[in-house]
This record gives sequence, C-alpha cells and structure tokens, in this order.
Amino acid sequence: MSAINEQPLFWQWLAALNEKIPNRLKSVLLFILVWWFLSLFMSVNVLPGPLATVKAFLRNDMGDVFFHVRMTMQRIGMGFFFAMVIGIIVGILMGVSRTLETWLDMWVMIVLSTPGLVFVILSFIWFGMNEFATVVAISIASFPSIAINVWQGVKGVDGKLVDMARVFGASPQIRLKQVILPQIYPYFIASARICLGITWKLTALVELLGRSNGVGYQLNYWFQLYEMDQVIAWTGLLLIIVLSIEMLILNPLEKKLFAWRPEVRL
Amino acid sequence: MSKPLIKIRDLSKVFTQKSGCLTAIENVNMDVFDKEFVCILGPSGCGKSTLLNILARLDGAYEGSVEVGGVALRSTKIRMAYVFQDPRLLPWLTVEQNLRFVINCLGIDKGLSDTKVRTYLEMVGLRGFEHSFPYQLSGGMQQRASIARALCINPDILLMDEPFSGLDEITARSLRRELTRIWQETEKTIIFVTHNWYEASYLADRILIMNQRPGNIAKEVTVDIDRPRSYEDPRVFEFSSRLVQDFLSLIGGDDVAR
Repeated sequence: MSAINEQPLFWQWLAALNEKIPNRLKSVLLFILVWWFLSLFMSVNVLPGPLATVKAFLRNDMGDVFFHVRMTMQRIGMGFFFAMVIGIIVGILMGVSRTLETWLDMWVMIVLSTPGLVFVILSFIWFGMNEFATVVAISIASFPSIAINVWQGVKGVDGKLVDMARVFGASPQIRLKQVILPQIYPYFIASARICLGITWKLTALVELLGRSNGVGYQLNYWFQLYEMDQVIAWTGLLLIIVLSIEMLILNPLEKKLFAWRPEVRL
Repeated sequence: MSKPLIKIRDLSKVFTQKSGCLTAIENVNMDVFDKEFVCILGPSGCGKSTLLNILARLDGAYEGSVEVGGVALRSTKIRMAYVFQDPRLLPWLTVEQNLRFVINCLGIDKGLSDTKVRTYLEMVGLRGFEHSFPYQLSGGMQQRASIARALCINPDILLMDEPFSGLDEITARSLRRELTRIWQETEKTIIFVTHNWYEASYLADRILIMNQRPGNIAKEVTVDIDRPRSYEDPRVFEFSSRLVQDFLSLIGGDDVAR
C-alpha cells in the first residue's frame, strides 16, 4: 500500500496510462518511434520520416487518391470473391469425393506452388491488358489456399455428430445447416483471411505490371521518380485499408461465430 | 408375457470390404418387452454396437426382420433415443441448446420444450449448467447432458451404447444408480450395451450374452435380484461371477484356460 504511494506522482500516472492503452496501439506507437528515429540518419530519398510521409501524402489530390484506391479495392474485391467461390467449390468437392480428390489435389498443389507472377503474365498475354485478365489472374492464383483449407475442413467433419443428428431424426437440411456447416465455418474464416492477404499483394503486382491506375500503379510511378515518401505513403494507405477489413469485419465475425471455443493454453 | 415391443428374427449383418466380407452378426433372435431393462453383454467386437445401430436406423442394410411396436422398423412410430459411448454434444451449443436441438429435430411443440429441458437437466443433476458449453463440463457431466438430451424427447425406447465405459469408476457408479432411478421414474424401455459383467448384473432385468465372430446371442438370463439394488450388494457380485463362469463353460473352457 505505502510502497505505491511513495512513488513519484509522475510514475503513478504513467503506470495508470500504461494500463489504459491497448498493447496493439503501444506496438504501433513504438514502431513509429523507431521509424522516426532511423529516418533521422537517412536521406528523404531512402527513408523519409513519419511526418514527411504524411505531408507527402497530403500533397496528392484527394480525388485522385480516392480514384486509385477505388480501382484497387474493386480488383481486390472481385479477385477475393471469385477466389473464394472457386476455392470453396473445389475444396468441398475434394473433401466429399475421394475420386475428385485424387483428380484435383495435384493441380491445386501445382497452382499453389506457381508464383502468382506467372498467372499475371499468362493472363495478360491470353486475355489482353484489361480488367478481366486482372481478375482472372488474381482469382486463379489465390484460390488454392482456400481450396486446401476448405478441403481439410470438410474432411474433418465429425461423422459421429452427424450420426447423432440422424438418430434424433434431423432432416438432411438440419444436418447440413446445424451440424455440418458449423464445423466448416472456422475454415471459411481462416481461408478468407489468407485469401485477403494474397489477393491484395497480387493486385498491387498486377497494377504495377499492366494497369494504368490503382495503388500498385502509383507505387511504380513514384518509385520511377525516386520519391520514397510517396511510395511509403501509398503502401501505408493500402495497409490501413486491408487491416481495417481484417479488424472491422473478419475479427468481429470470428469472435461472434466462435464464442463457444475454449482458449488454447500451451 | 405380453407382446414384445421389439421383435428381432434371424438378423444378420455382413460388412463388405475390399479385403473380403465380415459377418458382424448372424441369426440374432431376441425380444424386448415394454418397460424392460435389457443388457446386451459381450466382448469387444462381438457386434453389439452393430445391433444397436440397426435398431437406431443408422444402418438399414441388414437381413432378417426387425419389428418395433408390431410394425417393421422403418415404418415404426415408436420413438427412440440414443446415448452414445462419447457424449456427442454439439460443441458450439450450450447444454440447454443441445437439448433444444433434438427437440427441434423432431418438431415437438416449442412451448413444452422449456419445461422439458429444465425438468430433464434437473433429473440428471445439471441444474445451473444450462448455459455452459460442453467443453466447460467434465466428462461425467457431458455424459449426463447426453442422457438428458436422450430423455427430453420423451422416447419410448432408450438405446445406450456403453455410455459409462469412458468414465472413472466413481462417476460411472453414481450415473448407474441414477439411471436405474430415472428408468423407474420414467418407465422407459432400455437396451443397454456393455462389456462389463458386473454393470449388466446390477442394471438389467434380463441379460443377453453375445458370442464373438459371428456375433449371435449365446445365452439369455433373467436377473432375479429385487430392486432397488445396491451396487455393493453381494447378490449382484455372486450373480455376475456365476454369469462369467457359465459363459466360459458355454464357449468351451479349454479355449479360455489356455
């Protein structure tokens, strides 16, 4: 009791503040601090500081920024959507049928192992440098990780629980909706996460290679001009957007769906 | 005696695998009467669970005839519930929701379900755990929940497949005692599969002993110990050891002596 009171007021205040700030925010603040510190020793063309980056970003025309971000988000969205659709269908087919599994598993692994860049190049050559080719390349390159996740999820469905439901007279619909799908949901969420990560990286690459707008295009443009502050600013912008999707949509969804799961202790 | 509730005649089940055919049970004949507590006793792999799965309509590919309530098994209106060896609760539902799940499966009136859920959870001693998830309960409590789930649809027949064999002896004992109490209270017909001779002698009105490969009913005995029985009753002990002796001599002593 007295030990705490004897500490200087400032330290007490700091300890209280420390408790209030979430760890995530602290780690971001620490990162910005280190970034700022390092930037003191480097030229603006190599590593601009946080403030310089923000200033550089604000020099852009905001209508322009909005346009490029919108184009990128459209591509990420379309790529994500089709990758999820293909991945879920292929994954379910492979999980349900042993025959289809042996027909498809090698190809899923091949597509997974092929660098995304290859699909981007092939797609541009075959379909031309257009939005269609872009979405094709992104969805083809991203679907295997979803397929593999869903495939494992379907194979892992506990047949004993399904039997239980049958014994108690559950209709096929109830068995699917209330017994089988809840067992696969975690795999859907996990694959959505991975998919989002892959699609946005690929989108940036596609835009850099063959589109005349979007964040990837901007990155290339500023890189050509050696304006590092703009390169970092655009990267940061995209990061913030993707992280927001993760934290505002996927995370709460997961918390809501899987409240029943025990915490894992190692 | 009155007409049997379950009548099984010449029941056989063959599993066809790549490596050949495996006859799980062959020419099983048995009757189970209303409100009777029957134990099916036998060593592992004698086809006890196969028999129970056929009765539970999990397995429709068999030969022979199975009648329940006077009509063929597939068209019977007699309601059956199953208590598995493992609790098989849906892990994403609370205990209460697990009970509601099976009530909804059968489309039973939802207004009634509230009181039913509460009544049966109380009966198995899970009052206060309605909103717990299965992982928060011990193995014994999960099995209690699974018994409550089976009871809450008010079945005519309760099928139980070694429900206590995965539990520690103390928990198993208290659950056995409660099961006999619940059985007397609710007047269900129970078919209880076990490999535990003592458990069978303590619980059953009648014991059907199964032989191995191919499984069939080798012997049928009536347990003439009056209820309520105590688990430590020397008569139960005597009965079960006599049962083992009889069975060993039945299947040929030298095979066992070796």
